[in-house]
Amino acid sequence: MTELTLYEEAMCCSTGVCGPDPDEELVEVSAALDQLEDAFDDLQVNRANMQHNIDQFLETQRIYDRVQEDGPSILPITVVDDQIIAEGEYLSYDELTAAIGEGATPQEA
Amino acid sequence: MAQSQSTATSAREVVEPSSDETEFVFFSGKGGVGKSTVNCATATWLADNDYETLLVTTDPAPNLSDIFGQSIGHEVTAIDGIENLSAIEIDPDVAAEEYRQETIEPMRELLGDEEIRTVEEQLNSPCVDEIAAFDNFVDFMDSPEYDVVVFDTAPTGHTIRLMELPSDWNAELEKGGSTCIGPAASMGERKQDYERAIDALQDGERTSFAFVGKPEDSSIDEIERSAGDLGDLGIESQLLILNGYHPESVCEDPFFEGKRADEQAVIERAREEFDADATATYPLQPGEIAGLDLLADVAGVLYDGDEATVDIGAATDADADGTVDFDGTADTDAVVEQLTPGEETQYLFFTGKGGVGKSTVAATAATKLAEAGHETLVVTTDPAAHLEDIFGEPVSHEPTSVGQANLDAARIDQEKALAEYREQVLDHVTEMYENKEDTQIDVDAAIANVEEELESPCAEEMAALEKFVSYFDEDGYDVVVFDTAPTGHTLRLLELPSDWKGFMDLGSLTKGAAPAKGDQYDEVIETMKDPEQSTFAFVMYPEYTPMMEAYRAAADLRDQVGIETSLVVANYLLPEEYGDNAFFADRRAQQAQYLTEIRDRFDAPLMLAPLRRDEPIGLDELTAFGDEVTGLADVADADAPEVTPS
Repeated sequence: MTELTLYEEAMCCSTGVCGPDPDEELVEVSAALDQLEDAFDDLQVNRANMQHNIDQFLETQRIYDRVQEDGPSILPITVVDDQIIAEGEYLSYDELTAAIGEGATPQEA
Repeated sequence: MAQSQSTATSAREVVEPSSDETEFVFFSGKGGVGKSTVNCATATWLADNDYETLLVTTDPAPNLSDIFGQSIGHEVTAIDGIENLSAIEIDPDVAAEEYRQETIEPMRELLGDEEIRTVEEQLNSPCVDEIAAFDNFVDFMDSPEYDVVVFDTAPTGHTIRLMELPSDWNAELEKGGSTCIGPAASMGERKQDYERAIDALQDGERTSFAFVGKPEDSSIDEIERSAGDLGDLGIESQLLILNGYHPESVCEDPFFEGKRADEQAVIERAREEFDADATATYPLQPGEIAGLDLLADVAGVLYDGDEATVDIGAATDADADGTVDFDGTADTDAVVEQLTPGEETQYLFFTGKGGVGKSTVAATAATKLAEAGHETLVVTTDPAAHLEDIFGEPVSHEPTSVGQANLDAARIDQEKALAEYREQVLDHVTEMYENKEDTQIDVDAAIANVEEELESPCAEEMAALEKFVSYFDEDGYDVVVFDTAPTGHTLRLLELPSDWKGFMDLGSLTKGAAPAKGDQYDEVIETMKDPEQSTFAFVMYPEYTPMMEAYRAAADLRDQVGIETSLVVANYLLPEEYGDNAFFADRRAQQAQYLTEIRDRFDAPLMLAPLRRDEPIGLDELTAFGDEVTGLADVADADAPEVTPS
């Protein structure tokens, strides 16, 4: 089982359509995550944003440290199986696929 | 329970608790129909009959404090002198602030002050207001310490939205993930609360739903529409209370005799047509209903089958010489100046409490301006508006002529607005992918994803705002007249462009937002704030509650959006030539007193409009009414286009 967790800024809803215009990046990443879940049998995707899932930020030490050090601009942070694979930007579908494919040997960001 | 020896009425059977479980009584209806009076009377009566009673108002402009003569506010407060009765006025702003602070509190450990401030602003979203108000409401649906909870709900359109929310949000929660109301995981408990609330609302044994209205055709029409909407949600209307008919003993002249006859016909029609278990009526009083004696009188009539007491001469201590000097009081020239467009398009906003005659005044001003040769559009943003009843012509979502040259009318149809908004968003998403030919994303799935998210209650809010903003871009009009929804709701609508603008400036929610959108909102905000381009008119009748509601709303508009009130309309002034008896003398004295107070409180020209036997219907009557009240009568006839018969 591979776990992919995305730590994001405080936001109302994950596709960003609660705003006057959909946030293109959020639409894209939402779709990418859905598609990844379909493509990989043993993949579990979690999204945690600070507004709704603050507990996950407080309870995950390395995320807690990163945000406290650099502030929320370090978000989004993408984590695959406990390894941070990206900070400060959303990854594309291809990049996510690559990160998951490498499984237990993820590259450090 | 102690039963009084009076005759039990059918209204009593609806309202009185019948089991050991907490029961709920909802009173809905437009503002200004005596809804709060009926609520307070009902709650007091229940408490007097030994039921532990809580009275809750969700009206953003509450007046329980005024009626009970004690400060209540956002905390459950015991009512002085009445055993078993407590009340709370849910303040939507306080509720939203509490909600925001609860959400932010755990973030303080992680974020600095400045970052917290950014999050605070992000949480300053209309969705959050909605969620907070609703959470509060649901909390009171679970109050086992009370035998009965009486809800004094906000004006009709808004209430129905609240009732729809549990089902909407439940659908959201089913999907999982992060939603507009929070993460699905932590919402599990809330979901159960929502479901319990819906169950209770739909259970006719536990929940009684009552409408309060005036004995006027338009009032009954609106109630029938609202009852239909509630029926669609599985909620039955059980009681109809018609409030404020003219007592027979005081209607001595043809004007008031005629008014009374019309009212009785409406009451008769309502009894026959409206599908409720019970109907009840209460007469107009010479003074405002305040104080426990009058509340007891109301409850006695509604629930114990007593005769109403019309206590002439006791209800007001105003001095008796209260005749309004129309010519000396109205600022006709200044009013005309406020209404007349200059070089640029003029935006006129008519707002105020429900039931004060906003739509009629807006339609009248629009008709006169069109007659004067200005290309005019009148738009209603009120979900419960009856603009087409006033013009006697169909009024649809798109501006169309209502039979008068230069005059178009439109109404925001919430469903159509939502459909347009959805289309706009989905087009945007589709376009986004047209420019990314090499994407590995399944475009259809991405669109489906967004489509689902658009089921959220926030999308409705956005849709209404988008439509509202779009009227600032309608070409070809010299004047756009807005007949806006009752005060609380309108305020929110007007604040939205600012809120969302703040949102967009923060950027995090809408990174990809087209800058054009932000500019468009900027322009609208600037237009509304510019007194040269926009006129904000508060309509009220000279009584305490409508005056205070307008006064508070005007202050909010100034403080929160930077908009100054530039016109005040005092409606339903009793004509001098009719009603020559102590009852009307009392009422006139009271009106004169409040008219003076309105002048003192509002720094804006005053337009005066008399009570009429019937509300003006159709272009001819609107024209005649406009001649009388707007000061726009003396427009050169030669320039005036011909009136096309409708």
